[in-house]
Formats: sequence, C-alpha cells, structure tokens
Amino acid sequence: MRFVLDAEQRMFAESLDRMLAGSKTPGAVRAWADGDSGPGRALWASIAGAGVFAVAVPEEYGGAGVLPVELVTAVHELGRHAVPGPVVETIAAAALLSRLGDEEWLPRVAGGTAMITLAVPYALDADVADLVLAVSGDELAAAAPGERLTSLDPARRLFRVTPGAVRASGEAVREAAAAAYDLGALACAAQQLGVGRALLDASVEYAGSRHQFGRPIGGFQAVAHHLSSALMALEFARPLVYGAALAYGTAEFARDVSAAKVACAEAAYAVAKTALQVHGAIGYTDEYDPSLWIRKARALHSAWGSPSDHRARLMAAL
Amino acid sequence: MNIVVCVKQVPDTATERKLRPDDKTIDREAAEGVINEICEYAVEEALRLKEAHGGEVTVLTMGPSKATDTIRKALAMGADKAVHLVDDALHGSDGLQTSYALAQVLKKIGFDVVILGSESTDARMGTLAAMLAERLDAPQLSLANKVEIDGSTIRIQRLTDYGFDRVEASLPAVVSVVEKINEPRYPSFKGIMAAKKKPVETLSVADAEIDAAKVGLASAATEVVDFAVAPPRAAGTIVKDEGDGGVKVAEFLASKKFV
Repeated sequence: MRFVLDAEQRMFAESLDRMLAGSKTPGAVRAWADGDSGPGRALWASIAGAGVFAVAVPEEYGGAGVLPVELVTAVHELGRHAVPGPVVETIAAAALLSRLGDEEWLPRVAGGTAMITLAVPYALDADVADLVLAVSGDELAAAAPGERLTSLDPARRLFRVTPGAVRASGEAVREAAAAAYDLGALACAAQQLGVGRALLDASVEYAGSRHQFGRPIGGFQAVAHHLSSALMALEFARPLVYGAALAYGTAEFARDVSAAKVACAEAAYAVAKTALQVHGAIGYTDEYDPSLWIRKARALHSAWGSPSDHRARLMAAL
Repeated sequence: MNIVVCVKQVPDTATERKLRPDDKTIDREAAEGVINEICEYAVEEALRLKEAHGGEVTVLTMGPSKATDTIRKALAMGADKAVHLVDDALHGSDGLQTSYALAQVLKKIGFDVVILGSESTDARMGTLAAMLAERLDAPQLSLANKVEIDGSTIRIQRLTDYGFDRVEASLPAVVSVVEKINEPRYPSFKGIMAAKKKPVETLSVADAEIDAAKVGLASAATEVVDFAVAPPRAAGTIVKDEGDGGVKVAEFLASKKFV
C-alpha cells in the first residue's frame, strides 16, 4: 500500500496552503475568539470555494463525493493554518445528514453557505453555526445553544445545547451518528497533525534564528533532540491518518480511526509542549502567533474522544 | 475570443538556483520547477477576459517535458487547453530564438490576444512580449495593470514611474502584465480534477514548422561567456543612535539616492 499523495492531491494541498498563507489567518482566529465571526466567515467561504467541503458531500447532494484521502489532506492544511470554526463538525454533520437523505443542508455545506455544528457532547461555535444538531439515542434533533463553556483554546467557542424539534428518528439515526463520529474523529486527527506540523515548523525556524551563547539555540543538542523527537511523533502518526482514510467504508475503519486519533492527539500535544519550551518565555505570550496553535493542540487532545476513549475502542476491536 | 497565455516553468526562487558548468545554461534539474509567478497573473487576466467576453483560453509553454506540471497548474486555474512546445533542439535558446519559436506556434494556432507576464524570474529579460509582437506584426501593450476589451479595441493602463499611460490598439495584440493587475485565483479541487481531462497538445520543432537551425544554444545570438557565484553580502554599517540616528539614516538614504 502506498501512502504517497498523487499529483492532484498534492496540488490541492498546495493550493489551500498558499491561499491560507495569504489570508491573514491568525487575525481571523483572534477575531473569532473575540466574537467577531466576519473574517472567519470570509475564510470559510474561501475554503469552501476551494472544495474542502465538497469532498465530504456525496455527488447527489452537490458535492464531489466523499473522498477521505482528499478530506484529510485538506483538513491537515486547515490545521496547519489554525483555521477557526466548526470545520470538523460540519464534515461530520455532512456524513450524518447524507446517511439520512437530507436534501436541505447538504448542498449548502458543499457550497460553503452552511456551518453546522454537533453536540459531542458540547457544540463547538454553536452561536455562529447555521444549524446545531444533537443526537440522543436514535433521535436527531435541531438544537439551540445554551450555556457557554470555556475551552483551553479561546477560538473554540463551546456550548451546552438544548435539543428542540426532532428531525429524524430510528435505527438509521444511530448508525448515521456512529459513521459521523468516525469521520469527525478522523478529520480531527488530521487537523491535529496539521496543528503539530505548524508548531514544529515554527519551533525549527525559531531555534534557527534565536541566538544564545553566540549561536542559534537549535545548534545545541538538547534542543535539537527535542525537535527531532517532535518530528518523529508526527511522522509516526501521519501514516495512521492516511491508512484510516484508505480504510473508509471497510469494517476496519472505526478501529483505524481510533488508532490515528490516539497517535495524532498525543503527537500534537507533545509537539505543542516542545514548541512551548523551545520558544522559551515568548511561547507563553498570547500576542505571539504560536500560542494560537499551542492552545488548539491542547483543546483538540480531548475533542472527538480523548486518547483513552479511542484506546478503549481500539482495544475492543483487537 | 481566442486568448493565448504564455507561461514559463522556472526554478523555484525559494531554492538555490544554478547554472550548468558544461554549457552555462540554467540547471533545470537542480531546483524544483514551478510556474513563473507573474505568469499566474497572466493566466488570471486571461480567465477574466474569457469570463467577460467568452471564448477560449489556451496555455502555451516552451520547455522540457517536466514543464507539464506548470501546464497542469494553469489548466487547474481554469484555462481550457494547452500547447506544449518541447524539443531537445530548443535547449539553450535565448530570448530572440524563444520569440521566434513561440511566434511560429502562435501563427499556427491563431490568437486574438496573447498575454504574458512581464518577465521571468530566471532569465529576467522582460523582452519577450516586444519580440513576439514584432514577429507577429501585432501591436504590443506592455506592463499592463488593467486590460479592457471593447469589440476589436483593446485598452490598457501601462504602469510607469509617474503613474500610468493609457494605451489603445486594435486586436489581435500582445499584452504583458504586471503583478498589480489582479489577484490570481487558487486552483480549487474541482479545477484540479477537471484539468486532468483537458487536452494538452505536444508540438515538436518540426510540428511547429520551426527551423531547427535557428533555435538552440549553438545558434543563439547571445552567449554566456563566464559566470561566478555572487559574493556574499558585506556586513552592513551599524550606527549607534546618539540622538542623530534619524539624520544618519537620511544621509545613508541620500547617499544611495533613495531620497
């Protein structure tokens, strides 16, 4: 099995990378945290225009078909650029709604005019999302945002929700919710991998330019070792993400997603801690951009199932 | 409208670029080939003209076989088809020869407007548009930061040191563009997938009715006699601010004729 992206997948990633690099993303993240969703919405329209959500929506609903490898490739780039908003949640919602034959929201997801969030168990950005969904047992309901909770990442606006009108019920809802959870966890793993990669790149750059004792701090073995351990953690997690993407639609998908989620959560969190140490005091500064990624890495560690939840799923599957 | 946009694959400016010691041409294997940045603006302008006036956008490139990556990029942005002039006989061609070769292709495929970037990041000649216009006996509208077409009339704003000139000509014409003209779009997933199915016509020197004796390193009008690695940058002057820092900065800028 080859885990090498083809020319089109690489071009898709490069296109997103260049677009986001030119979009002043850190400013949009800060505005989002402060309750100004304008720049984040504009960013959302750009990534939707690039086709990020189209690869999560079946063709009959206006998407490009569910393409898990393209999806994780794209979400990895969004993680690298710390794109705010319920990206993973909207992707999971697309998986949920497409299994329930929803014709109202899916074309809007593909077209980028709908942000959907899900209660897992708290709903991310429920105050901004166009639709909030909550699944309880075999019932899917539209929900309203309730009490705001505090996330370790200020750009993650978490809410308790109050379920409202039931949109669908029955065994199909339970199955669709399970499928949505798996795809959401996979997308979150890819996002974490991207967050970790951005932090490693920032740390390597910093270690190369910050001088102490007359030389770049990256020249000291103790710093270099930390950075190489961070790289290894990410490189060992990456094939699990693409492996899980390739297992989409098979009986092993849930198991492989859990393996990827554990590895990416632990890797991104470890890299974040390394990044904090390598940057020294400035790494603790809110105004300095790496803080946006450091806090996201910690918050995502327990989003879409904690590593122990996924280890338990993995254990049960073996 | 038949719009042809010329693009060039160049060594990535982010990497170290080298000349080949054997024949003193650019070492295209030493660095990753990327689309010349200003060519993306040319493609974008071509696409906007097509969106406004209809027609078809053809990408034209001359370069080694790996230049297909650059063609794919332009097609992913939205161009309709491509022509790739590729032949070992073209290796080492200078600006004059390149303009001859491309003009032969353009005469063969026809055009209403030819759009190019103002210069490439590797050779940095910035003369191809003028040479092509001469060879094609078409008006040249250079350094455009705005292009408008009205019937058979084309108007541009030519960027100058003092602002811009308004230049008008009749079609067919050759236009070169500067970076201020637009913001190139990023290829979407849909565009990338559609590009796979778009036709790319490969032409050899013979196919394009190019006289092989008139192209290539051996018959080039210019010759690279020698080259050397640029010397490392000298250390800058450090001025200690003793209340007169602003004056010293102004003096420095004045000595370099910046102010």
